[in-house]
Amino acid sequence: MPYDAQLNFVFWCPTKIVFGENTALDIGIEVEGLKCKKALIVTDKDLIKNTDIPEKIRKALGSLCVGIFSDVEPDSGIHIVNQGGKLGKELGADCLVSVGGGSAIDTAKGIAIVLKEGGELQDYAGFQVLTRPQTPHLVIPTTAGTGSEVTYVAVIKDHLEGRKLIFGDYNILPNVAILDPKMTEGLPPRLTGATGMDAICHAIEALHSSQKEPIADGMALHAIRLIREYLPRAVENGKDMTARGQMLIAANMAGAAFSNAQLGMVHALAHSVGAKFKVHHGLANSILLPPCLKYNADACGDVYLKVLAIFGVNIERIRPEEAGSAVAEKIIEFTKKLGLPQRLRDVGVPEEGLKECSELALSDGAIVYNPKFISDSAEVLKVYQQAW
Amino acid sequence: MALTFPSAEWVEEFKRQINLSEAYKKAGATWTAGVVALIISAKPEIGLTEDVGIWLDLHQGVCRDAKIVAAEEAQKAPFCITGDYVRWKQVIKKELEPVKGMMQGKLKLKGDLPTIVRNVKGAQELVECTTRIDTKFFDE
Repeated sequence: MPYDAQLNFVFWCPTKIVFGENTALDIGIEVEGLKCKKALIVTDKDLIKNTDIPEKIRKALGSLCVGIFSDVEPDSGIHIVNQGGKLGKELGADCLVSVGGGSAIDTAKGIAIVLKEGGELQDYAGFQVLTRPQTPHLVIPTTAGTGSEVTYVAVIKDHLEGRKLIFGDYNILPNVAILDPKMTEGLPPRLTGATGMDAICHAIEALHSSQKEPIADGMALHAIRLIREYLPRAVENGKDMTARGQMLIAANMAGAAFSNAQLGMVHALAHSVGAKFKVHHGLANSILLPPCLKYNADACGDVYLKVLAIFGVNIERIRPEEAGSAVAEKIIEFTKKLGLPQRLRDVGVPEEGLKECSELALSDGAIVYNPKFISDSAEVLKVYQQAW
Repeated sequence: MALTFPSAEWVEEFKRQINLSEAYKKAGATWTAGVVALIISAKPEIGLTEDVGIWLDLHQGVCRDAKIVAAEEAQKAPFCITGDYVRWKQVIKKELEPVKGMMQGKLKLKGDLPTIVRNVKGAQELVECTTRIDTKFFDE
């Protein structure tokens, strides 16, 4: 649907972006630029165990580093955030440097709240409830996918209650994001592919969301162009720094796009299989994207035609209502080339678990913005079954 | 006669409209998550001198109680949505969809977003109910 005079939106992305090989080593300059002196590094166990990245950042910070909090796990929990907040207070940290993927970045967003506001993270669940800027936060992503360095949401699990809490607030947007291709150099091919597919899902969902808007459209479309060109190269050769860099830029642009335009059913369904069966978020998105495109095909064919054009298809003879299926086929072709699994059954989801996931997906914030309104779990189940 | 928003009379009429609504009865049938409170932030220049809370005791498609409360009381509800007068006016006039408003920082939600999302249809029907009230706004 073309935009009309009724268009109204808010685009908010105040994060400073620094890009380039070895720019992560300038972290001290960025910390000082925020008038901070005591940085706490927030990272995950795997990164500490398997790479020298956190140590490099610690050395680059020198005396500005007061400690490393490395207890972050996938699906970070509020207890982990509260522990990080406690450590930060004990060390007198005045800023956070998150180093890692989405879990590390989201954990640091949570710690930023606890450090500034006191109490425990669960006291602040909600949307836009914070009234002032939180603890300064600098991000060094080590994957190119989540775009979390430019989003205002943190998803943190309450392991006791068995549910995910959503913290959405402009005051937790990171202050600085350093996109250094060297930081993603060691990412294995499958993770490179899966996280890259997360980014393309962000871009496509921002384009078809019911809250879509032109600024986000521009960022999303360019992100798709970059991913189409550079993700296969990054998967093929992880040392291709041009591809690594362009993928970081693509993930960042897709992140800014969806943080403003929101997402849709692909993410709602992916979050649910992730929560129930621990399917990697990027893989879940990658598998669920084609059937969701088909589901939405009659609502946003004009959008999907633009995506098709980016994938090199001559769209002159394709009718808008055919575009969803055509894009779905292109995505399948693309993910096969990346060597990614194609079905939910291939990533450990049992068929009997789909019904419960269908119910869960209806509680996910992303589903509100799907181009077609969905309130019936039976419709969601059909999409899951196609992906299974 | 037009009722001033917010006022005890307006809230009483809101309750009546909710309970008259077959659509809300259906859409809100699964709501068991407790009270939803709304806070309209003070705007002295139009005569709203202090924050006003609206307490909506909603349960399974029925509004059991609706009343004006102090903002501090409203904050105690499991779901509390806060916004400036102009934002609530936009909601009532259907110029601002509440969940979109929360995402954009125009309204603030204290509480569990997934629960609200699961009941988004109910939230839409509540907005529909406000449109049936002959409303007089402070600034008009």
